[in-house]
Amino acid sequence: MAEPLIRMQNIRKSYGRVQALEDVSFHVNEREIVGLLGDNGAGKSTLIKVLSGAVPLTSGDIFIRGKKVSLRNTSDAIAHGIETIYQDSALVTQLSIARNLFLGREPIKPPRFLNRMDQDAMNTVARDLLKQVGISKNIPPTTPIGSLSGGERQAVAIARAMHFDSDLIILDEPTNNLGVAETQGVLSFVRNARDSGHSCIFIAHNIHHVFQVVDRIVVMRRGKVVADDIDPKKTSVAEVERIITGMSDKEIRDAIADGKPSH
Amino acid sequence: MEHRSLIQRLIARPEFGPLVLLVIEIAVFWSINHDFLSPQNISNTLAFTVELGLIALAMTLLMTSGEFDLSVGSLFGFSPVLMWTLFNSGLTSLEVGFVAALLVAAFIGLVNGWFVTQLKIPSFLVTLGMLLVVRGTALFVTDGFPQRTWSAEGSWLAEALVGDFFIGPFRIYMSLFWFIAAAIALGYVLTQSRTGNWIQAAGGNPNAARARGVNVSGVKIGLFVLSSLMASLAGVISSLRTSAANPNSGTGYELEVIAMVVIGGTALTGGRGTIIGTVLGILILRVMRNGIVLIGVPGLAYNIFIGAIILGMMALHSWLERRHQAGT
Repeated sequence: MAEPLIRMQNIRKSYGRVQALEDVSFHVNEREIVGLLGDNGAGKSTLIKVLSGAVPLTSGDIFIRGKKVSLRNTSDAIAHGIETIYQDSALVTQLSIARNLFLGREPIKPPRFLNRMDQDAMNTVARDLLKQVGISKNIPPTTPIGSLSGGERQAVAIARAMHFDSDLIILDEPTNNLGVAETQGVLSFVRNARDSGHSCIFIAHNIHHVFQVVDRIVVMRRGKVVADDIDPKKTSVAEVERIITGMSDKEIRDAIADGKPSH
Repeated sequence: MEHRSLIQRLIARPEFGPLVLLVIEIAVFWSINHDFLSPQNISNTLAFTVELGLIALAMTLLMTSGEFDLSVGSLFGFSPVLMWTLFNSGLTSLEVGFVAALLVAAFIGLVNGWFVTQLKIPSFLVTLGMLLVVRGTALFVTDGFPQRTWSAEGSWLAEALVGDFFIGPFRIYMSLFWFIAAAIALGYVLTQSRTGNWIQAAGGNPNAARARGVNVSGVKIGLFVLSSLMASLAGVISSLRTSAANPNSGTGYELEVIAMVVIGGTALTGGRGTIIGTVLGILILRVMRNGIVLIGVPGLAYNIFIGAIILGMMALHSWLERRHQAGT
């Protein structure tokens, strides 16, 4: 089998005495959308933070296309083609769409020493990208992010990741607080991203959203990966829910009757 | 949205409110006392306006990045004291004293920036502490007395900074050109350069900026240094023009400067700043101070008007902001 795009091996992360990740192994193939599921505190966010360089790992290895990398901070991860999009936090609301798209990588008009941004080029690229990610309304690229809707903001963040050739786009709860139409929009951007050669990790509480787009589901529970090869086409939502909670239907009923989960 | 008329676009700009206020202010003062627009009065008002203005320009960038600097008033007093002390003691020439004062100011800015970005202490507390340290130092080294100032006539440094000449009936100081140059340069940096994009991002959403590889700490430290340098330069200019170096001068300027910046439309919380607005804010406050004296209001009542303007402009900005958010 071909080497996966991202391979995380025997990852451990402890916060003091709390083990957030125990010996987790996880991979994402080229052109694959992986759904990462798990209850609160299962370790999804920690795993993603390790992969996006936001927190250092305690032990374990990360390989990108078979090459071992160390991700000390978020810039390292971006340089390796890993882009993380958090709900609402990836953009500067005061800046325009174009200025956000190119933040940190603004094209410069010659002569270089004047340090002048090429705003025409930025706006042209931004206008194209907005069309590509399916924003049909005619929004000028000079519009500040603050006056866009939640779905449009997600679209801009995804467009940015696509434009800068990120190999892996991590979407952390991208459909939270979005309306029905906007959610469909975001899901279709994700499909577009895969079709144009990107891989995605999709984290969401709403299992139905995950089922609509992903190729493979990985489930985490209490710091461990408990299933990493669930095919959404051959598995039902109820079965996945059972894996997430780690309980059978009867146990769930008993737990609800007792008012607390039984372990 | 792109088809709006020129007038509508002008009204939508954040600088429109301050511009209207300035025009009204000038019209009212002029109609009460025609001497308000006499060449002599304009020249006098401009001379000191640009000195405070230099600090306000740097403060605009710093506040856009989400921080502010309370130590500028102290530096305004301290830097000329340091320069004249070095010169009077015979240790250095005036020029070397000037450079030494700037270097010390840059170091103070560096310390401010380091405390804020590395120790993560709010800039309010850091620069409040620095305000006291710098003012205390100025008072201590001078025993609280003004420094002996040699009349700076003839020194090329004094000529370059505050040399004066007449254009028609207007007496113009060189400092006006330094102010204009600084306003153009910093306006360019803020709106056209990629550094400006980083400054706005650092104030708007520092985590997002950091995630994109923007060196937020570096940007902020640089702006603290700039703010200290401008305060120091303004202090030296003022001292050369008035031939005075008083360790107490500049007291309270930090708040007046911050008021100028926010009246102009820069957000106190960062992310949004405008140099044109700041220039208008500077003029609004200085014209007010000059005008109310000319029309016979007791000078001591000045603060009442300044306070009222700040409150009024803040209300206007917040109303415009809400209307802007709702309208899109």
